[in-house]
Amino acid sequence: MNAAGPLRRARAGLPGLIVLVALAAGLAALVIVAAGGHPPASQAQQVQQIAAGLHCPICKDLSVADSPAPLAQQMRQEIARKLRAGESADQIRARFVAAYGDSVLMSPPRQGVAGAVYYLPWLILAAGLITAFVLLRRWLRAPPPGPLQTSPQQASPQTGPPQTGPPQAGPPRASPRTGPPQAGPPAGPPQADPPQLSAAQRRAVARALARLRAEEPG
Amino acid sequence: MRRWIPRRRAGLLAGVVAAVAVVVVLLMTALGRDPSVIASPLVGRAAPNFTLPQLDGPPVTLAKLRGQVVVVNFWASWCADCQTEQAALDQTWRQFQDSGVVVIGINFEDSTGAARGYVRADDVRYPVVEDADSRTALAYGLRGVPETFVVNQSGRIVNRVIGPVDAATLATEINSMLATSAQ
Repeated sequence: MNAAGPLRRARAGLPGLIVLVALAAGLAALVIVAAGGHPPASQAQQVQQIAAGLHCPICKDLSVADSPAPLAQQMRQEIARKLRAGESADQIRARFVAAYGDSVLMSPPRQGVAGAVYYLPWLILAAGLITAFVLLRRWLRAPPPGPLQTSPQQASPQTGPPQTGPPQAGPPRASPRTGPPQAGPPAGPPQADPPQLSAAQRRAVARALARLRAEEPG
Repeated sequence: MRRWIPRRRAGLLAGVVAAVAVVVVLLMTALGRDPSVIASPLVGRAAPNFTLPQLDGPPVTLAKLRGQVVVVNFWASWCADCQTEQAALDQTWRQFQDSGVVVIGINFEDSTGAARGYVRADDVRYPVVEDADSRTALAYGLRGVPETFVVNQSGRIVNRVIGPVDAATLATEINSMLATSAQ
């Protein structure tokens, strides 16, 4: 029984499977993050949540929620007053931004140049995934490692160790590199297909051949 | 003719160069900014209105002073820099009160007793109000005292001074606004 067919099919489907698994994992992470963003139950929690997102204007690297400064305390009271008046968290944040500017926000705004902080990691991640996909696909399509074959004679099964890769397994077939089949009776024993070499391997072979030719006497 | 760099490598190289260029431009933009200068988003906008109780007198409402140049100064009795600028504020008040210019001192995070003591000791003549819950200070984006806002006749903030203000700067700005309104 020839196991090369199923193996080849499995290898061909592997990149797609990996991409599907990665997409499913990403989707699951998004769902978990979205589910975690429940609105706070009480007003005190709401005040705490809004204050945690605001930078104490007279402190160094402290949020309004964490700062013991009187101004931060006044800001917390102001947040509570605005919530009681029916303002939303976004409206309250907008009021502080109007007075203090974007620097009052603990996290940079999503608009403008500062918004790149949010989008750039996703772009880099996407570029990384695409690169990984392309490299993986190329790696899976590359022939398995074996002795370098430079001529049909060397490619003969008698001269080299047995190979398990796709070019050698399976019945002999016409290779696109060998050109159209020539008319007339076949000369000599059937030959195995030359292996598919990468560009770097082809260059190395060409260099080796050139060196051999140069060393030939006459 | 043989290519100096393979096409694929050239594309990769161009991508890396572009990415490095973007990072360099971002760094140069950020490093060229003075971090000690905090731009106020309020300059050029309408001054937040307030109605605050005077230490000795009726409440003061900013909106009622529309058409006049108003100097809004946040201060506290415990603030050393406020003592430094007190002479400049007194001078501005004396120099321009007959021209319709109003100076308002807003007491910030202080006790009424301490504020009264300061006003009496320094013989402050312009209106001084109390911002007990700091709501006005928050509306003006206050980061500390002293801070001074200059409001024009249209009710817009034209300047914000962080730290002690000097009489010459105030006089130049006020004269400019008065001259504009006189035309």
